[in-house]
Amino acid sequence: MAAQTSSRAGPDSAAVGGLYCYGVTWAKVGPPDRASGVGGEAVGVVADGGLAALTSAVASTSIKAKRRDLLNHSEVLAAALERGTVLPLRFGVVFEDETALVDEFLRPRREEFERLLKQFEGRVELTVRAAYDEQAILAEVVNENPRIARLREETRHGNAAATYPLKVELGELVAAELRKRTDRDQRALLDRLRRLALDVEVDQEPIEHQVLRASFLVERGKVSAFDDAMEELAREHAGRIRFKYVGPLAPHSFVSVGTPGAA
Amino acid sequence: MAIATQGTASNYLQRAPSPSGLADVIDLILDKGLVIDAYVRIAVIGIELITIDARIVIASVDTYLRFAEAVNRLDLTQTEAAGLAELRGDDNGGDGKGKGMIEGAKEAFSGDRRQKERSEQD
Repeated sequence: MAAQTSSRAGPDSAAVGGLYCYGVTWAKVGPPDRASGVGGEAVGVVADGGLAALTSAVASTSIKAKRRDLLNHSEVLAAALERGTVLPLRFGVVFEDETALVDEFLRPRREEFERLLKQFEGRVELTVRAAYDEQAILAEVVNENPRIARLREETRHGNAAATYPLKVELGELVAAELRKRTDRDQRALLDRLRRLALDVEVDQEPIEHQVLRASFLVERGKVSAFDDAMEELAREHAGRIRFKYVGPLAPHSFVSVGTPGAA
Repeated sequence: MAIATQGTASNYLQRAPSPSGLADVIDLILDKGLVIDAYVRIAVIGIELITIDARIVIASVDTYLRFAEAVNRLDLTQTEAAGLAELRGDDNGGDGKGKGMIEGAKEAFSGDRRQKERSEQD
């Protein structure tokens, strides 16, 4: 039951600093190659029983969230995912040392982690963002709503004070049209993608021109079908919606654990 | 000059294996993933330096005026021409418009309507 570690975590770094943790995987999976961790440190594992935490040394238990570090955190997890199932941690989890990591984290939660690792085996997260092309969607709105087209003509010229109330009215109508279209398009996109996914998390924050921001939990075997669906959607909406599609990723949006029981 | 090779859709679909920009990564690892506060000494400083300035849609006169201005500025003849060029898959577009739209796509997503500012001085 003794904790083991990669040879890289020297005794000095453990004494003054902490141990940054990226995620939990099976011990047999081993550390990811070709990924450098937060602060550029090498990534190793701390194993206990059949589980392993992906870790690297940090100089202190406080971390600054720098751009490079945020990207590294995510790259370590992406590299780990290529080797096996991994449960991703949120950025910024630091343990005092290996003993703390094992005694307070890996060991008390072993059953829970094992259950989650089995649950997410062969499943990946795909994230999709879709946003309107502003010019295209506004042109669509003007062309399809005669009242908006008329108000547009009436407010294009003339002095600002005189057209002010009409402009407010115009903008209000445009905002309502955009809302309507966003709802409709979001539903349409979700209908197509949801059937390929085991689970979906949709971000509901209303961001300007954003049609959809969602994470999909997908069986690895279905990723290529999802790719095809994305290409189809991009073709259908070419000219009006831009898509950004990222993955396969560790299941960031879908892992959660209960509140810690009294160990 | 044409960058797109697989027809029009590719201009509008950007695929990446892992998050390439700060906006993506922030969504993914600052808000999501396992977090187990009770057991963990967690101390992240500097996150407040990353200000997330997403343009949330708020029903206000300012927003309405902004939309009205945008609609007023709209050049309908141009957007129609661009739309047709896209539909034909004509990325030569006769006048280089296709290229402009591809670059526009990159711009839109790297800037991503969210401006992340950060301090990396130290």
